[in-house]
Amino acid sequence: MSDDSVDPVREELEKFIGKPMGPPAVAPEAVNLPMIRHWVDALDDRNPVYLDESRASESRFGEVVAPPAMLQTWTMPSPIIEGIAERGGAPTAMKSENVVSALDAAGYVGTLATNSELEFHRYLRPGDRLRTSNALESISPRKRTSLGLGYFVTWITTYTDGDDEIVGSQLFRIFKFDPNTIGGDS
Amino acid sequence: MSDSEVTPIRASEVAVGDVLPPFALPVTSTVIVAGAIASRDFMPAHHDSEYARGQGAPDMFMNILTTNGYVSRFVTDWAGPEAMVRKIAIRLGGPAIPGQPLRFSGEVLSADDEGDERLIQVSVRAANDLGDHATGTVLISLPQD
Repeated sequence: MSDDSVDPVREELEKFIGKPMGPPAVAPEAVNLPMIRHWVDALDDRNPVYLDESRASESRFGEVVAPPAMLQTWTMPSPIIEGIAERGGAPTAMKSENVVSALDAAGYVGTLATNSELEFHRYLRPGDRLRTSNALESISPRKRTSLGLGYFVTWITTYTDGDDEIVGSQLFRIFKFDPNTIGGDS
Repeated sequence: MSDSEVTPIRASEVAVGDVLPPFALPVTSTVIVAGAIASRDFMPAHHDSEYARGQGAPDMFMNILTTNGYVSRFVTDWAGPEAMVRKIAIRLGGPAIPGQPLRFSGEVLSADDEGDERLIQVSVRAANDLGDHATGTVLISLPQD
């Protein structure tokens, strides 16, 4: 449900559209078997193409490949554990202003993840070193939901390999809302 | 998938309406923490119940990377090691929390030949007693048999 009343934040939000959500990232490690094994054990995913060299070599992949859903794992930032709770779970201190910090400052402090769309152009192999870039795709008109007034914010992260070929992407959408507007009028 | 070999599906025999074998994941604190750390996600909400409750959640909850991992596993446990996952698109609902098993279900929405592959789209739902945790679609390709 759209809320068409005066929206003083809108103009400030527009400037973020099409811009990066944050700095590009470089994977701290290349795709590697120890991290694949950790994932395979954690999720008990026994697909043989992830660890069994002989089965993988007979498969269409021709060699061991990483579980596709690990895509984001490879470029997760190295966290600073101390203070992570005080930072609201952010792995490191956020330096750049982005749409999320702007909405926080405007009172839309609630965050709910609503959609994830992962696309895989090819499966990753040990040795692949990923980079990411990202861009804010859209900010919805202000909407009223059961959580309160807020905005759906969508961004796309693109993953490239060492040859600058795109290997995959993730569309991610969150709802940034003002918890003080539940049930009230805007 | 256990170590015992499951007869792989044949790409040519996949048909719209085929139902994937249902799967129930007994979600525990260990399952949640193991997935969070394997995906390098150190957010306290995924390993610290007290912190998560302070943020308004009913308990520590599964991170999205792990949810995507189980969705992928649910589909490839059925489709076999020749399946290549092309796309996982999910809408996120209620949290996956300790003590609430996640029930995965799905069925084939489309199956189309494309060159030497067969593109298969399946619906996936992962639900617990709180409601839907994740719903969406997964697109895979299988080599023609």
